[in-house]
Amino acid sequence: MKHAVISCLHANLAALKAVLNDIDQNGISDITCLGDLVGYGPQPNEVVDLVRERAITSCQGCWDEDIIEGLNACECSYPSQLAEKRGHLAHEWTAEQLTDINKDFLASLPTSIRRDRILFVHGSPNSQHEYLLPDMNAFAALERVEKAGADTLFCGHTHQPYVRELKNGSIRVRLQNTSNHNAEDKEINLPMRKIVNAGSVGEPRHGSTNATYVIHDDVTGEVEIKEVAYDIGLTCQAIIDAGLPRIFAWRLSHGFEFAEQAEDASHVCER
Amino acid sequence: MGSTWLISGSPGCGKTTWILNTIKNHQGACGYLRLAEQAESDHEQLAVSQIDYTFLKDQIPHLEDFSDCRETSISQHKDFLTLIELSQSQSPESLGTIGIDSYAKNRLESLKLQPDRHLHFGRDSELPNNDTLVFNKLESWRLNLASSVWDPQSLNTFWFELVNGAYGDVYRAKALMNLPDGQSIFFNWIVSQKGSQFLPLKTVSPPNGRPERPSGIVIQGKGLDCITIQSTINLCLLNDALLEMHQMPLRDRQPEVLHAS
Repeated sequence: MKHAVISCLHANLAALKAVLNDIDQNGISDITCLGDLVGYGPQPNEVVDLVRERAITSCQGCWDEDIIEGLNACECSYPSQLAEKRGHLAHEWTAEQLTDINKDFLASLPTSIRRDRILFVHGSPNSQHEYLLPDMNAFAALERVEKAGADTLFCGHTHQPYVRELKNGSIRVRLQNTSNHNAEDKEINLPMRKIVNAGSVGEPRHGSTNATYVIHDDVTGEVEIKEVAYDIGLTCQAIIDAGLPRIFAWRLSHGFEFAEQAEDASHVCER
Repeated sequence: MGSTWLISGSPGCGKTTWILNTIKNHQGACGYLRLAEQAESDHEQLAVSQIDYTFLKDQIPHLEDFSDCRETSISQHKDFLTLIELSQSQSPESLGTIGIDSYAKNRLESLKLQPDRHLHFGRDSELPNNDTLVFNKLESWRLNLASSVWDPQSLNTFWFELVNGAYGDVYRAKALMNLPDGQSIFFNWIVSQKGSQFLPLKTVSPPNGRPERPSGIVIQGKGLDCITIQSTINLCLLNDALLEMHQMPLRDRQPEVLHAS
């Protein structure tokens, strides 16, 4: 059966509506959201309301977590002082706007969702803040999927959609027994694992302003990355009307993320 | 008696670069002065002059500064070459027999400088024929950034946004910016040319607090959102505690290789 996976909505209502419309047109009713419903964008309540109204199964993203628990990500999450200050401003604005009901909803979201051998997370099985970049070391990527007990791992957070197949994975271990001085070789061969990144609905970072999501067929394993155009002007105007920094509208309208990726994106914040 | 050349042309046509190369190839000592046509305010002229002169002085340490009207005996030497840079949008032919703006002419007279050559970009074949824009009635904005130090990554973001139109239609931007490791970077951008020029000055300050050297930015364009430019710059500059955090490991690592400015 086909199901859709969306991620990183970032309070962009026009983008979410366009993506949901596209999913509906594909006749898909099973939708999973990988978090970051809010953050930077101008319509946090409207987006959370719509996700609740459509009963979309969601896990919690790093922005959702920070809005509930207070800004506690370490400064390494931001690539620059400017990005950090803009991020804090967006955080304060969003926290002030969100209704208690919507905050409770975000707080209730799980950090991962499992369906048999398929796992859905925001960043990685380790942390909502960890980036699984498409060119991440293959061994480390395989470790993330294998440790989580998954065949296919769906993630977001990077805002770059991709499908990565990890084939022919094998681990060779030599165990040295000190008591009898014997060495024992072990080889573990792993079946193919797959990482699917859904990209971003509300803040694309793939070289285009279009929203992205993925459609997965859990019978054939086929994954299709979908791009959906939406009325960016509506969201940009909403950013300005909300009193958020105009630079957010400029960056969104040019397909630049609100904050660039950190230099060491694989860094895991150890709070 | 030395020579005095007047090099004029539109903003961004490559006057400073040509002057730098000429000075580098000249056997004797050189002096430098930057003038502007009347359209530029005194403050703006001072800001651009300071950026250009600091950059040239860094590249050519023996360069003499003629902006303070000093009458130096060295300029009387046979091999001495005085180069006067004049930012002038109009062609010399359109300005009568003298070929320069009356404001610039008066400045030359007050400084008792009489050019014996006048080369103009776009007219004289000795100069490269660069593609330039006609800058008429542009807004201009400048900021003195002396003793300010930038967060390097924030500076990258700010410059990228600036030259890509996030704060209005920028036609031209020139700056000297301090980094926490003691470097000062000369930034130069014009809309008609591809990419920005980033040149680190040879002189590096010790990573010990705020550097004492000229630093600033001058922006020309239309519809400039000066308030947002200013507030964005404020978000990019390091406070004392963060500056110390950047500089402390540098001091521990390589104190002996850094040269005082």
